[in-house]
Amino acid sequence: MAYTLDIFRFDQATDEVPHRDRVEITELPETVTVLDALEHAKAEIDGSITFRRSCRSAICGSCSMNINGTTGLACKTPVAAVLKSDRSIAIDPMPNFQPMKDVVVHMDPFWDKYTRLKPYLQPKDKDSDHATERRVSPEDMHKLVAVANCVMCATCYALCPVVSVDPAFAGPAAIAYAYRFIEDVRDSKRKERAAQISDDYLWLCAHCYACSYCPKHVDPHDDIIAVKRATIEEGLVDEPGPRHALVVAKTVKQTGMLHETEVIQGTVGRFNIKGLLKVAPFGLRLAMAGKIPPLFLKPVPKVDEIRTIFDTLEAPTLS
Amino acid sequence: MTMVMDKPAIKGKSKSAQMRKYGFFPGCVAKESCKELFNSTMLLADRLGIELVELTAASCCGASVLNDTNRDVARVLNARTYAQAEALGLDDVITICSTCTGHMRAANKELLEDERHMGQANAILGKFGAKYDGTVKVRHLLWLLADDIGLDELKKMVVRPLNGLKVAPFYGCHIIRPESVNGWESARNPHSLEDLIVALGGEAVDYAGKTRCCGFHVQLEKDGIAANMVGQNMRMAKDQGAEAVLTPCPLCHLALDGYQADAVSRWGRTDLPIFHLPQLVGLALGIDPSTLGMNKHIISPGLVLQEHDLAPAHVA
Ligand code: SF4
Ligand code: SF4
Ligand code: FES
Repeated sequence: MAYTLDIFRFDQATDEVPHRDRVEITELPETVTVLDALEHAKAEIDGSITFRRSCRSAICGSCSMNINGTTGLACKTPVAAVLKSDRSIAIDPMPNFQPMKDVVVHMDPFWDKYTRLKPYLQPKDKDSDHATERRVSPEDMHKLVAVANCVMCATCYALCPVVSVDPAFAGPAAIAYAYRFIEDVRDSKRKERAAQISDDYLWLCAHCYACSYCPKHVDPHDDIIAVKRATIEEGLVDEPGPRHALVVAKTVKQTGMLHETEVIQGTVGRFNIKGLLKVAPFGLRLAMAGKIPPLFLKPVPKVDEIRTIFDTLEAPTLS
Repeated sequence: MTMVMDKPAIKGKSKSAQMRKYGFFPGCVAKESCKELFNSTMLLADRLGIELVELTAASCCGASVLNDTNRDVARVLNARTYAQAEALGLDDVITICSTCTGHMRAANKELLEDERHMGQANAILGKFGAKYDGTVKVRHLLWLLADDIGLDELKKMVVRPLNGLKVAPFYGCHIIRPESVNGWESARNPHSLEDLIVALGGEAVDYAGKTRCCGFHVQLEKDGIAANMVGQNMRMAKDQGAEAVLTPCPLCHLALDGYQADAVSRWGRTDLPIFHLPQLVGLALGIDPSTLGMNKHIISPGLVLQEHDLAPAHVA
């Protein structure tokens, strides 16, 4: 049965605003992929339809686009899985990017963040044990396997809500790549890499897990947490992000609870008057609504047990 | 999720009169800046005829932040909480916070799926005579309402239908993502909140922002970041005709209620009141709006409620 591709059309060279074209596909079954349907539309119906693709098998990462409002690889998405009740499929460019032509977008912001990381191994100058090769244990390599599957499709970047409001944020793929080198035992630039990714607003990750829709199951979120821990280990703690993490740990250790009042002060900095003034309107609004978090918290019963857990695991807290 | 079947029978009472009993983990925010969430949950439980046994010695779940300093800590802290529930003979731990749900479930999954994690946790818990056997299920109040009470039953209990109030569900993140941890419903296309809103007599508003992040966890990282995320989502809801928003998460509540005013310059006025889940259910079940703490919101729901004959004039 026929179905329709409802395609976003735009050419930055000639168009001021985008429009949409509906292309009816009658000769391909629903079992094909969205990319197959697009290829067919371009070859048989309208040669001007523009999209990126290369491998057709979820390896090159170039066919990422928005399919019915959800970003993913067109070559990995069966038509049958996404047909709407009116038998149409909306095809749009990835969000968080500027369209160039139809669903082809300007990828520069994504690549810029990636290249800033110096995404290649930087081993120590001399390694006398291994003049020609450097060995890595299976355990050490195991940590890198998932992220090595990243095909740079930018699906995660397109889905990241922080990127959507602040393009300065490195985004999930770049941070996952920072992890790939930070955790590589052969690399010698751990601190420099941690500092770089920290400068690229590592701590803006909101832990929202939108990047868990990664089509290659890289799922950058846990790597991002690991990179955050690495920056703390490297002593890069004089930022709101690490201060926040450390003061939360401190209050939980002290009281068993996350003590909101102290966390705000500890994150912003107790003597950072300018910073405190910035959060004041929010606090004032809460207070006026009768929502004043307690200034002091009574520890939960058996708080000693909680402290034992922190001490046994040598968990760092804000000193 | 299944009904809680294995509770001991209460002598002398029929099955329908038995009180279903659950472990209850309110989380830090419901005990600190969103006390109205804690109170409305208790009022709702009473109305539903269920008993929530608060785990008073429980710790913070880790709130996604403890992982940033030491990943083991949050897991073992949660194992301690589960051990307390087990010691009380409770196998459900009910939360009223999406962040607690997601992080407690993630910790439980790690404990149950990797014996090294369970071994590590029990070695530490053993220092103070506790032990976790792995029997606890962490569930959100939303799931309890849908599975154990059932929306059809809930509908029968409605005495103050929402009169077509247009409510935008706001799932946020940690009650749906990652699906490998939560998986109670589709993370891409959840509909439990919509179903609930309709069961209560309201109209559910669909908009793309419903599964996006509220920005709470980064509110202090960079100026305006949370306000922007809030503004973006609330704009989408408002443009689809929403009059109010319903959220299962107090962190989303704080961000959405607290930052709309800051988002006006870029996203325009939205002024959407943000309801906690037990508040809106409690309202439909006939509980007084003030008792539910609806006067404790920055964006007052008073006008919207009055327009739909849901509140007397004193709820400002
Ligand atoms: S992490 Fe996944 S979604 Fe992100 S660029 Fe790599 S393969 Fe694509
Ligand atoms: S978890 Fe962090 S990086 Fe991933 S989508 Fe959310 S905010 Fe972006
Ligand atoms: S064409 Fe290569 S990933 Fe789709």
